[in-house]
Amino acid sequence: MLEVKNLAVSHKKKIAIKNLNFQVNDGEILGFIGADGAGKSSSLNAIAGVIKFDGEIIYNGFSYKSPKEVQKVKQNIGYMPQGIGLVLYKTLTIKEHLDFFTDIRDIKIDKAFLDYKKHLLSMAGLERFLDRRAGDLSGGMMQKLSLVCTMLHRPKLLILDEPTTGVDPLSRIELWEILKQSAKEFNTISIISTAYMGEASKMDNILLFDEGEIIARGSSKQLIDEIKPFVYDKIETDKKHITISDTTYCLENLENHHQEPTLESLFFVNALKKDRLLPKLQISKSKESIDKNIVVMKATKITKKFGDFYANKDVDCELKSGEILGLLGANGAGKTTFIKMLLGLLPLDGGELELFDKKIKSSEDRNKLKSQIGYVSQHFALYDDMTVKENMMFFASIHKIDAKKSAQLIDSYSKELGFERYLDEMPKSLPLGINQRFSLAVSILHEPKVLFLDEPTSGVDAIARAQFWELLKELKEKRGISILITTHYMSEAEFCDRVVLLKDGQKIADDEVENFYKKFPNANSFEEIFLEYYR
Amino acid sequence: MRLRVIKAYFIKEMIELIRTKMIMMPYVMPLLIVILFGYGIKMQVTGVRTLILDNDNSQISRKLILKFEHSKYFTTTLKNMSEKDALREMKKANTDAIIIIPSSFQKNSLKGVKTEIGVFIDASFPSRATTIGNYIQGVILDLANDFHIDSSGVININTRNLFNQALRDEEMIVPGLIGMVFLIAPAIMTALLIAKEKEEGTIFNFYSSSVSKVEFLVAKLSAIFFLVSINIFIVFLVSSYLFDLPFRGSFFLFWLASEVYVFVALGFGLLVSIVSSSQIVAIIVTLMLTILPSFMYSGMIMPISSMSGEAFVLAHIYPVMYYNHIIYDTFLIGQGFDSSTNILYLLLLFGYGIVLFISGLLLLKKEIK
Repeated sequence: MLEVKNLAVSHKKKIAIKNLNFQVNDGEILGFIGADGAGKSSSLNAIAGVIKFDGEIIYNGFSYKSPKEVQKVKQNIGYMPQGIGLVLYKTLTIKEHLDFFTDIRDIKIDKAFLDYKKHLLSMAGLERFLDRRAGDLSGGMMQKLSLVCTMLHRPKLLILDEPTTGVDPLSRIELWEILKQSAKEFNTISIISTAYMGEASKMDNILLFDEGEIIARGSSKQLIDEIKPFVYDKIETDKKHITISDTTYCLENLENHHQEPTLESLFFVNALKKDRLLPKLQISKSKESIDKNIVVMKATKITKKFGDFYANKDVDCELKSGEILGLLGANGAGKTTFIKMLLGLLPLDGGELELFDKKIKSSEDRNKLKSQIGYVSQHFALYDDMTVKENMMFFASIHKIDAKKSAQLIDSYSKELGFERYLDEMPKSLPLGINQRFSLAVSILHEPKVLFLDEPTSGVDAIARAQFWELLKELKEKRGISILITTHYMSEAEFCDRVVLLKDGQKIADDEVENFYKKFPNANSFEEIFLEYYR
Repeated sequence: MRLRVIKAYFIKEMIELIRTKMIMMPYVMPLLIVILFGYGIKMQVTGVRTLILDNDNSQISRKLILKFEHSKYFTTTLKNMSEKDALREMKKANTDAIIIIPSSFQKNSLKGVKTEIGVFIDASFPSRATTIGNYIQGVILDLANDFHIDSSGVININTRNLFNQALRDEEMIVPGLIGMVFLIAPAIMTALLIAKEKEEGTIFNFYSSSVSKVEFLVAKLSAIFFLVSINIFIVFLVSSYLFDLPFRGSFFLFWLASEVYVFVALGFGLLVSIVSSSQIVAIIVTLMLTILPSFMYSGMIMPISSMSGEAFVLAHIYPVMYYNHIIYDTFLIGQGFDSSTNILYLLLLFGYGIVLFISGLLLLKKEIK
């Protein structure tokens, strides 16, 4: 049994978590959910004994109050920090990893261990790749290997920090299977943080974190039942409320039909309780009329090769004006490469590209069209040592927008996209969600007709993600901007008009979202549809 | 301390170093420095392009010309031209020095009448010019001796500078360079190997496992220690054969002092890696801490004994001076273990290394900052 009493962690002078109390029983899987920076990682670090903390942690009667004291029980702990393949050595093979971890964990090599190792490897599906280097594995395989290495010494206390973030749905299911099985077979205590609510719902108990505190706890069902009275179908009201896509959250009674909440609803209800109403994000309408159904981008049999490896092979793709096209696929399916080719950041190795009815052959063709295209990269390309405002002014001047107009634009966008009060701060000190909105503002400063977004929502919490999608819808409807967006959150497919599925660099499906559901009537979510294609 | 853990880290380090080709670093970098600096830093002057105008054309003047021609320090050209034309040649950088032998040079000098040899030197590089001037004076003095001319009455020559001719630069520079490279290379490697784990996140394997701090450090340091130890022999061979350095002292002392010194360097790298969170910071900080001081205070360009005030104190704080003293001794002098200074310095270095290692051990924390 693990008992946490009055746990507190602070980074420099900022308090990351305070006054944390909870218990976990043997064989139990405990989930941590919460927004980015809510204190999940700090709590996990403290329990794993790799960060300074206040308070007391008691593991099976052994109490520790500092990282130094944890040393004695570390042999019982398996900790996997956040980040894909973070604990792996890129140049070492899978087999070398296993040997290394066996030795540093000082595991006795006997038949029982060899059987256990074999069992783990076959569960993870890695036994065929023993000679492959970690750097050559896909994200999902890296995470599975990390998990195997973490579990090699049969820890009784397993601490995993977002082990599935950024991993494709199929690998996520496989990882989950390993965890479930180990909890059952070895009676392990597992503490797992996750950004996927679908996963959280499978855990025995959940702690919801917000601003360094636990604000709700219980099983998935309990938590959902608690918020049921506050979730309605979309409705206009004067009372304090939050409306996101077709759901309205309100703490007071509304004369409307209740909606079945999900775990994600927890975040919105909590925001309401904390009186953090979402600013209404609205984008002013463009003066020009919007033509629909014009093909703005047409890619024919686009191919990209890196050595012998096809990152993209014969991909056909079309983007119409005023459309949101989702490019979905697992890690390494070729999403980023595809966008980079569309942008001219990578040369084509085959195929043809048309933008606004013009064939793109040289960089000159492309330069003429640059003013029509906006781009937000995976890692928002902002300058960390300039304030938000300075960043925006810089990008405006790149696009040759005169000073007066750019001041106007910065003023109106910062209000419309709700980051007005952050204008004089450094991007690094801001929440990811704010950076994401401000990157979006930067990319539309020059009023492009097409927007390419590469995983803009990755790592951003549920509320910020929902708001971001609302904004994209606004952009589409009021400005007629066509949007091509990549994401690995399958649930976000629902917000797109059309979805293109990539697998191993090839297109395996391309259809409107409704048609996907028609094709698979039994599917409850887009994730299940995705799995049908991937299996 | 569990040997198994250390072995596992050691093997892992070697595999990584080989596959990332970082293993070349402890070999290529020091050799490059030794060869580039060893050949590159020249304080002696050879092949001075010298233009001689002989207005006398006597036995003595011909003898003087012959002496210049036979010297490896001068590449002489004998020409019949006016002084003005000769100076123009120098302006065009076609010659480094001009020697003008006056008419009736033989007659006057044998009679003991004061005579004057005109010497012009290209002084764009002042120290080089001084050296050339001294060489020329030396040759002339030599000539005066041959003919039993009372030199002081005829040409004023400063005999003190003759000493310079005997000293080879390599004997000055190369041992100093050894002290430099055995500090820089191991320090950078150590700083990198630990900072790399921090930067990539694999340090968590150490943080979250039962591996102790001593085990971690011994494993990391021994990998580099092993690689650099091999290099001690390579650098020795390069100095002896490529640069023709004499070796007059005890090889055992050279080897022992080098290993101890490498241990000190590892300590430097260790401390740097504790304060830096990324590889690039680790490299820059280590370079700043090692290259300049090891060059300045090595006694390579300036003898420590002639330093004063802060420079003298700094030189004594830095470990380079002690190692270099032993190295100069083993290569050039050969007192070995008979010299109490050598033994004292060796012990000082060892103490230095222990202090660095222990402070590293105390400062290293198994937790995120």
